Amino acid sequence: MPHIILFTLTIAAISTLCIAPIALALAAWSWRAGAKGMVVDALGALPLVLPPTAVGFVLLEILSRRSPIGGFLERIGVQILFTPKAVVLACAVMSFPLMFTAFRVAIETSDRRFFDVARTLGASPARAFIRVTLPLAWRGLLSGMILSFCRALGEFGATILIAGNIPGRTQTLALAIYDRVQNGTEHEALALVAWVVGMAWVLVAISSVLIAQQRKRLAA
Amino acid sequence: MIEIDIRLPLAPFRLEVRCSLTANVTALVGRSGSGKTSLVESIAGLRRALGRIVIDGTALLDSDRGIDLPPERRGIGYVPQDAALFPHLRVAENIRFGGSGRERFDSLIEALELAPLLDRAPASLSGGERQRVALARALMTHPRLLLLDEPLASIDQPLRERILLYLRRVRDLGIPMIYVTHQPFEALALSSWCVVLRDGRVAADGPSRAVLADPAVSGNVENVFEVSDPHHEPGLGITRVTTGGGLALLLPYDQVVEARFPLVVRISADDVVVFGEKPSSISSRNVFEGTVASLRASDGIVDLTVTTPEPLSVRITRAAAEDLSLVEGARVWLALRSRAFRIVG
Repeated sequence: MPHIILFTLTIAAISTLCIAPIALALAAWSWRAGAKGMVVDALGALPLVLPPTAVGFVLLEILSRRSPIGGFLERIGVQILFTPKAVVLACAVMSFPLMFTAFRVAIETSDRRFFDVARTLGASPARAFIRVTLPLAWRGLLSGMILSFCRALGEFGATILIAGNIPGRTQTLALAIYDRVQNGTEHEALALVAWVVGMAWVLVAISSVLIAQQRKRLAA
Repeated sequence: MIEIDIRLPLAPFRLEVRCSLTANVTALVGRSGSGKTSLVESIAGLRRALGRIVIDGTALLDSDRGIDLPPERRGIGYVPQDAALFPHLRVAENIRFGGSGRERFDSLIEALELAPLLDRAPASLSGGERQRVALARALMTHPRLLLLDEPLASIDQPLRERILLYLRRVRDLGIPMIYVTHQPFEALALSSWCVVLRDGRVAADGPSRAVLADPAVSGNVENVFEVSDPHHEPGLGITRVTTGGGLALLLPYDQVVEARFPLVVRISADDVVVFGEKPSSISSRNVFEGTVASLRASDGIVDLTVTTPEPLSVRITRAAAEDLSLVEGARVWLALRSRAFRIVG
């Protein structure tokens, strides 16, 4: 059991770190673009409202040998489907909307005026963003990463479609719980549930504290 | 020389401003919601207006030629109303955000008396301290124009005095300033040129004294003087000062004893008493002989401009004007009560 927990934590961490730069870049672009950014906002939030199995199926099609992308990956010898990489991919896609939306809100509440004033002081948009907006929004950004990490911990639908449920190779906590219930070893399922509840509760609590601090700081 | 000819759609109206400014300090006056802040934000490049903004021959905005410089390339210092100091940086870091010149930094710290504040966090500063830090931060960029949005709006009386003192020091550095305010007497304290905005358009512009003497512009008319050279006479309760125009005034000692000079004081045009003949015994300490230069009557009120060594605005009732048979060119005496003077800063 410890290795399942460790494996799940590792997968969730890698997935969170992989999508953070993309989510930040998109959230920053969408913030600067104003009304035009709403298209990106809607696209970024899409996996949040789609059935995870639908997302999994789309990924499966994209990565299959028949598709151009899948074919290309096969030619260069990269195998994704039914490997731990597929678990990371499923977690990344499914947890992206939470991170993107949280980043968007964090940047929005950082008060654009500081960004504007930084530019009148000679800072380029990138420099103003990095030196002023990001430091003011870091609590909200971290909270978004934590939420996204928690979502990745519990990812099930897309994972089972593209990574399968291979014990010792692609089986995460969520898949293991499903497995134990199917096998009738419910006491093991219960132990796993206890773990996941404990971890998620602590993390969500930290995230809430961070958001409260950011609000307080900006109100001051 | 600053030439502005811009258009910008705003919520209740359209900002349409056309003016050219040559004075060192221009006051931008208007009620709240008249478009003052939107105009300075457009000049700073924070709002995307259409038209032309040219400073000393350099086009910052010229829609016809496809020029619209981003804020960081306009070289304009902007101090917003609430100073907008970066909350995560200490005072020294805030100031250095504008530029890293060591000499410039040291001279600004000295001129604005910021040395004791350098290690403080912005949240721990008072309103006046924030304004000074924001002023230094903007000046670090060596701006070709400084925009100040109501720098005294959130500051109490005793501190206003000091901020005005610092602003006069900045003015004396020779950096052109546009100073936004809704208080006409503040505009008079600093500026020589004045633009009045109403509903997004220029309602009046010209030399500050002339524009702001118009009651239609400023509501109540004020006489504003920059006074210096104080001689305190505590026993008599008076302080003798001289205005920039050479008028010798007596001010109440207790109110100005702690003030820093030069000091700006004001007295309402309603508080000036007019005599047809030289008053012989009178409690008022400030009595001046003058000539009525202009006379404007409306709704039972008569507004006079009287030439003494400095032109003074006077507001009296029509009954009083008729009783004294006032006409242009008439010789009059004016009495200004010492205690009717208010300190601007």
